Amino acid sequence: MNAVYAALNLIFIVLFAPLLDGIERKVKARLQSRQGPPLIQTWLDLLKLFRRPNVRPRESVRWLFEPAPAIALVSVLAASLFIPSLLPGSLDTWGDIIAFIYLSTLSAVAIALGAFSTGSAYAQIGSHREVSIIMAEEFSLAFIVAALAASSGGLSFSRLFPLQLKVSTITGALAFAVMAYVAGARIPFDVAEAEPEIVEGPFIEFSGKGLGMLKLSIYVKRLLLTTILLNFFLPQDGTVRVLVYVIGLVIISVVYASIEAHYGRFRTKDAARFLKRFAIVGILSWILGVVGW
Amino acid sequence: MEVIFLFIVIILSVASFIGVFSRSAILTKLVNALSALGSLTIAYAGIMGLKESVELNITLLHLKSDSIINAFSTLTLKVDPLSGFFMIILGILGFCTSVYGIAYLDMYKGDKRLYAFNYPLFLLFMFLVLVSWNLLWFVVFWELMTLFSQFLVAFERNEKTLIATLKYFCMTKAAADFMLIAIVLVLITISGGGDYDILSSQLVNYFRSHPLEMYLVSAGFMIGLGVKAALVPFHVWLPDAYVEAPSNVSSLLSGAMEKMPVYMMFRFFLSFTPLTPNIGLLIALFGTLTLFFGTMYALKQTDSKRLLSYHSVGQIGYVVFALGAGIYLLSKGYTTFGALALMASLFHALNHAFFKGLLFLTAGSILYRTGSRDLDHLGGLARFMPITAFAALIGSLSIAGMPPFNGFVSKWMIYVSTLPTPTLVSLFGALALFISAVTTASFVKYFTSIFVRPPAKEITVKEVPVSMWASQLILAVLCVIFGVYPALPLEAISKAVDSVGVTTPSITVFPGLIVSDGIGNIAPLALLVFSGALTAVLLAIFPYKISLPVWTTGTRKSLAMRLPASSYYASFEEEFEDVYSWGEWCVCTTKRLWDATKAVLSSFEEASFDLDKMMTGAWLMLLILLTILGGVLL
Repeated sequence: MNAVYAALNLIFIVLFAPLLDGIERKVKARLQSRQGPPLIQTWLDLLKLFRRPNVRPRESVRWLFEPAPAIALVSVLAASLFIPSLLPGSLDTWGDIIAFIYLSTLSAVAIALGAFSTGSAYAQIGSHREVSIIMAEEFSLAFIVAALAASSGGLSFSRLFPLQLKVSTITGALAFAVMAYVAGARIPFDVAEAEPEIVEGPFIEFSGKGLGMLKLSIYVKRLLLTTILLNFFLPQDGTVRVLVYVIGLVIISVVYASIEAHYGRFRTKDAARFLKRFAIVGILSWILGVVGW
Repeated sequence: MEVIFLFIVIILSVASFIGVFSRSAILTKLVNALSALGSLTIAYAGIMGLKESVELNITLLHLKSDSIINAFSTLTLKVDPLSGFFMIILGILGFCTSVYGIAYLDMYKGDKRLYAFNYPLFLLFMFLVLVSWNLLWFVVFWELMTLFSQFLVAFERNEKTLIATLKYFCMTKAAADFMLIAIVLVLITISGGGDYDILSSQLVNYFRSHPLEMYLVSAGFMIGLGVKAALVPFHVWLPDAYVEAPSNVSSLLSGAMEKMPVYMMFRFFLSFTPLTPNIGLLIALFGTLTLFFGTMYALKQTDSKRLLSYHSVGQIGYVVFALGAGIYLLSKGYTTFGALALMASLFHALNHAFFKGLLFLTAGSILYRTGSRDLDHLGGLARFMPITAFAALIGSLSIAGMPPFNGFVSKWMIYVSTLPTPTLVSLFGALALFISAVTTASFVKYFTSIFVRPPAKEITVKEVPVSMWASQLILAVLCVIFGVYPALPLEAISKAVDSVGVTTPSITVFPGLIVSDGIGNIAPLALLVFSGALTAVLLAIFPYKISLPVWTTGTRKSLAMRLPASSYYASFEEEFEDVYSWGEWCVCTTKRLWDATKAVLSSFEEASFDLDKMMTGAWLMLLILLTILGGVLL
C-alpha cells in the first residue's frame, strides 16, 4: 500500500513542481509590475527542452558528463519516495532526514562533476561556487537538524512529522524554513547559477533533455524542501491533509517568490557570511531543545 | 590456528630476509608477493578469530621471581573478535597495498632494500600488536611497529624525508613513553602481570575505588595513543610522514596503522576501565576537534597526498568521536545510542581503511605516471587513466559519504547515535555533519583537479599496470559492497563490540538499516536499485548523439581557463577565516612554548658548567627520585 502511495506521490511531485515554479514566476512578475508568463509556462519550457537533442561537449569526460543530469534528477526523486507529500503514506523505511540531506548533496555533486568535466570556464566557476554554498548551508542546517533531532528524539520522518509543539521545535522549524529558501537556490542565494554573471554556471554546457532534467531536479528539490517544512506541522492522516498540503505549498511558494522579487544577488562571500551567522539560530534552538523546552 | 600464526610469522620474516639481499627488482617484487600472501593469511586468521577466540602461550623464560620482568616470561597471543576485526582490516588492506607495490616500486630507481627489508616487518609487527594478549608485549611490538614504519617513511633518503622521519620519530617516541609510564603505573598498582584477562578483571574494580589513578592512567594512554592516531593537537607529524612515504606505504599507514591506537582505545577504555562520563566526553571532544580542524585544513591543501593526509586526521576524528560518544552515552544510561555509536566507530574505521587506502593508491598511481602531486599542475587525466579515475571517483564519493557507498552508512550511524540524544555529543554530531559537507567539497576538488579540469600543460600518460589498477578496483568494489550490504560488516562488528562487554542493540540490518522507534532508518540497497534502474532508463531513452566543441563565448580560440586548486572555495575559506587564524594562533603558541623550553634547557646547560650548582641539582634530583620510588614501594 505504501509503495502505491509513494508512486502516486512521485507522479504528483513531478507534475506539480514545474507548475509551482509557474506560480512563482507569475508572482514575481506581478510584484515587479510585469505581465508575467502563463502559469504553465515552466511546463512548456520543459517540454520544449525534452524535444531537443542532447549535446555533449567534445572536450568533456563522457562517463561523467552524460549521466550527470539523470543522477541529479533521480537522486532527488529517490528522496521523494520516502517523504510523505500529497498522500500521507510513503516508503518511510527507505530514508530519514539525513538520507534526504545526503541525496540532495549527491544531486549537487553530480551536477558539479558533470559541469567540471566539460572544462568550460563558466561551469568551473559556477560549480565551485555551488559547492562553497553547500558547505556554508550545511553549517547552519547541521545545528537545526541537531536541534530538531534532540528535541524529538529521532531522525526518521515518522518521528519528526508532525513535530511536538515546543519552543525549540518551532524555532527549529522556522529556521528550517529559511534553509529551505536557501537550499532552493533562490535569489539572493543563486550565486552558482547566476544567469547575468556566469550564464547559468554549471548548466552552461547542458542542453536539450539533459538541461530539462537538471531544471526539473531543481523544481523537485524546492518542492521537497517545502514539503518537509509543511509536514513538520501537518497532521499525518485525514482528508484535510491533501487540501491543506496543496494550499500550504502554494502559500509558501508565494511567500518565497515575493521575497525573491525584492532582492539582488549576494556575492558568494556574503551568502557564506549570512549562513555562518544564521547558525546561531540553530544553536539557540538546540540549547532550547536540550534543556527540554 | 597455531599453524596459521606460525605461517604468518615465518612468511613475513622470510620476505624481510629476502629483502636484505634484494638488489634486483625481481627480488623486491617477490618480497611484495610474499607480503601479499602473508596479509591474506592475516585476514583469514581474523575471520577465524571472529568465530572463536584462539589462545596461544609461548614460554620464553623460566623465572621464579615476582618481578616485572616476569611479565615478559611468557608470550601470550590471542585472537578475539575485536582483534580479529582489526586483523581483517589489516589483512585486506595489506594485500591490496602489497599487490600494488609489485609494480609501483619500479618507480624508484635506486636501492630498494630499505623498503624490501622493512615493509614485511612493518606488517608483521602490526599483526603482533593486534594479537598480543599482554600489555607489556603490546608496547614492545608497538615500538617495533613504529620503528619499521619510520624507516619506510625515510625510504627516499633525501632531506625532506629525513626531516619528516625525525619529526615522526620524536613525536611518536615521546607518546610511547607516556603510554609506557601509564602501563608501568597500571602494572605497579595491580602487580599481577599485564595479561589482558587479569587487567580486565582487576583493573576495573581498582579504578572504581581510585578515580585519581584512573584519570592519570587514562590521560597517559590517551596521549600515547592519541599521537599515533594523530588527534589534534598531536597531529603535526602526520602530514609530513604520509606525504614522504611511498604511496602504498602511506596507504597502509593511514588505513591500517592509524587503526592500531583505535584498537587499543577500545580495549582500554571499554574493558580495562569502568565507563566514566567524563572520560567519554573528553575523548569525544578530542575527536570533534580532530575532525573539525583536520578537515578544515585539508580543504586548503594543494598537494594531493597532503590533502589526503589531512583527511586521515579528519576521518580518524570521526572514529574517535564516535568511540567517545559511545562511552559517554553508555555511562549515562543511553544503552542503545551508546552501543550504536561504538558500532559506528568500528564501521567507520573499517570504511576509512578501504576508501582512504584506495585514495592513497590513486594518488600513487598519478605520481607513478606523471611524477607530480601538485593539484595546481595536474588535470584532465580521466581520459588517459579511466580505471584509476573511476576508482578515485568511488573513493571520493565514499569518503564524502554519498549514498550508496560505505561512508554514507557509517556516517549515518554516527549521526543517528549522537544527534537525537539530549546531551553535548549531539552538538558534536552537528559539527560532524557540517564537516561531512566540507569533506565532500574537498573531494570534489581532489577529483576534479586531477582528473577532469583542463591541465595547465597537456599531459599524455598511459593507464597504470594491471597489478596497480586491480588492487585499486578491489578496494573500490569493497566500498560499494559494504555500502549496499552493510549487514556483512555489521555482523562482524557486533561480535567485536560484544567481546568488549557491550551488548549490541537489536537493529534491523537487512534490507535496510532501521533503528527502532523512529530513531533513524535508511535503505541503501533499495535506493541504489531504484536510482540505478531509473538512471539507466533515462540514459537509454535520452541518448547523446551529437558532440560539439565547448562554447567559447564566440571566439575561435579555447578560453583555456582553469580554476587553480588553490583558489577553490576561496570565498568560503575567507568567511571561515576564524578557524584558520585560531589554528595559526595555536601553532604560534606551541612554538613559543618550545622556544621557552629550549631557553630553560640551555640555561640548565650553562648552569651545569658550575660544579657546585650541578652537584646540588643532582642531589635534589636523586632525593626526588628516592621519594617517588619510596612512595611507590610503600
